Amino acid sequence: MESLMIEATKYTPEISFDCNNHVLDIKGKSYPENTSVFYQPIFEWLEEYLSSDETQEVTVNMELIYFNSSSSKVLMDFCDRLDEAAEDGKKVTANWFYEEDDEDALEFGEEFQEELESVTFNLVEKAPDNE
Amino acid sequence: MLQDLYEFKKDLGKRGVFFCLSGPISQNLVAEIGTTLEQKMTLEETSKATVLRVFSTVVENAQNIIRYSDEKEEELSLGIIAVGHKNSHYFVLCGNMVENTKITRLTDKLTKLQDMNRDELKKEYRKRRREPPPPDSIGAGLGFIDMAKKASEPIEFDFKKINEDFSFFSMKIVI
Repeated sequence: MESLMIEATKYTPEISFDCNNHVLDIKGKSYPENTSVFYQPIFEWLEEYLSSDETQEVTVNMELIYFNSSSSKVLMDFCDRLDEAAEDGKKVTANWFYEEDDEDALEFGEEFQEELESVTFNLVEKAPDNE
Repeated sequence: MLQDLYEFKKDLGKRGVFFCLSGPISQNLVAEIGTTLEQKMTLEETSKATVLRVFSTVVENAQNIIRYSDEKEEELSLGIIAVGHKNSHYFVLCGNMVENTKITRLTDKLTKLQDMNRDELKKEYRKRRREPPPPDSIGAGLGFIDMAKKASEPIEFDFKKINEDFSFFSMKIVI
């Protein structure tokens, strides 16, 4: 199978799912008008990737600055699918990135961490921007 | 009208409103409004979390107008969004027409949220996120709870009857 690369737009995140190095990155903002239209191909790819025997160990990096409430539900479904794969014996590590002064992002991360049983879910504070 | 424009602007200013848009709301506009508000609030040295809460509340409201406003011109949905600052808090106002048949259901939903404290709202959010969206919802059905969670006071709302079929639905969210 091929890696999945989708460039970021104003309201959708950058998707970089690399099936050769087994690193899945989601980065940016997520508030599309129609969440399922954007995420359906991503879920289809994930399904094929996680079902493959070649997938044994995967790292997922989630670095979302902002997501709307319907994207939050999609992220929950996404994490649930990862948890299922981890229950099936695959080694799944998820990193949730948040900025130091963004307590809402940290809280979202903590909630996902609590909801998941088999994924190793890390909360990672981002280094401050040097703009 | 021309002479009134300054009075209109001054009146908004008196109420603490620094941004106001009335008319068709589109997804493109949502992104632009969000970015501009972010820039303005960052200039005022607002904390990152507050900027994101205001941004998020504007997005949820705008997307509610796009999805649920009962005043439409072809594909476009009409409504009004205002953002202001008063008593050291930002607030977001949002309004659109709704069919009178929807009033009871909206009132029930919003009254239930008004009575919940922050922990209860968090629990409700997590519970609902695991459930399929309600049949009358186009998104995840989480928008109001999300706003209530981000607000520092219970959400205020009102229905102003326009005629036999429609009312004007307004909400105020204080961040």
